[in-house]
Amino acid sequence: MNEKIRRITELALMTAIALIIFVLELQIPNLSPVAGIKLGLANIITVYAVYRYKWGEAALILFARVLLGAFFSSNPSALLYSLSGGLFCLSGMLLLKKIIPENRLWLCSVFGAVLHNMGQLTAASLIMRTAAVWFYLPPLLLSGCIAGALTGLAAQLVLQRTKKFK
Amino acid sequence: MKKAKKGLASAYILAGALFIAGALGTLLLLKPKKTDIVQVLRDDQVLYTVYISGEDDRFLKVEYGDSYNLLEIKDGKIRVSEAGCPDNTCVKMGWLSSSAPIVCLPNHLVIKYVSDYNGRDEVGIDAAAG
Repeated sequence: MNEKIRRITELALMTAIALIIFVLELQIPNLSPVAGIKLGLANIITVYAVYRYKWGEAALILFARVLLGAFFSSNPSALLYSLSGGLFCLSGMLLLKKIIPENRLWLCSVFGAVLHNMGQLTAASLIMRTAAVWFYLPPLLLSGCIAGALTGLAAQLVLQRTKKFK
Repeated sequence: MKKAKKGLASAYILAGALFIAGALGTLLLLKPKKTDIVQVLRDDQVLYTVYISGEDDRFLKVEYGDSYNLLEIKDGKIRVSEAGCPDNTCVKMGWLSSSAPIVCLPNHLVIKYVSDYNGRDEVGIDAAAG
């Protein structure tokens, strides 16, 4: 099979899976009153992609999912926050990949989640021109660590099982 | 190899530190904080400054384009009781009770306690402003 077509199909499939996970998570009622505290299940695909594909390919999957996700969520004003969070998360994890080996992927995901939250807070404080939103950093750090470890662990399990399909 | 291991160890320590910092910060944030003055801001512009404990129970509608936030003042407390934004996070946050402000991202609204009418809520900032 043509290698290029195979690659594109695989990336498209990952994007579709990420989008489905994202839309499904929208249906889960938010347990916490604090904006931004959530599982971030679509992050499973992002972390997975960072370790399995080239950096550009991981970025394509993430940004395609974020853009398409904005259409599916009823909250288009959230796009800027998602983009900024995604950018922080992705660049951080791509750098950390050099330090953190594949079998400690969950650790990388913890940083990814925390950076995602920081990216969102940065966007929020710039858009609203106020530092008040940084009050939410502590609970977001806490939830980011927990959610990031869990989604990272899920990605790690998937990565181990899909390794044989090269 | 050795260098990579060192990096991994520091990554563990950093992750642990973030977790602990988050937990401690959250505990601090949960501590009730109450001054008598509440400010409602949009994009860092003060819309209202309310001396909350002396205020009669009433509603305050803040318009934002086609959207709005309905603020309820009752028994010296304030909350967003209704909002036209899609996520309604600000409503779910309930009564303002700690130093964590109520934030409505879609409508660019921030509601928080301040210590004096100029909106300076930290002694350090006061001193620096002279």
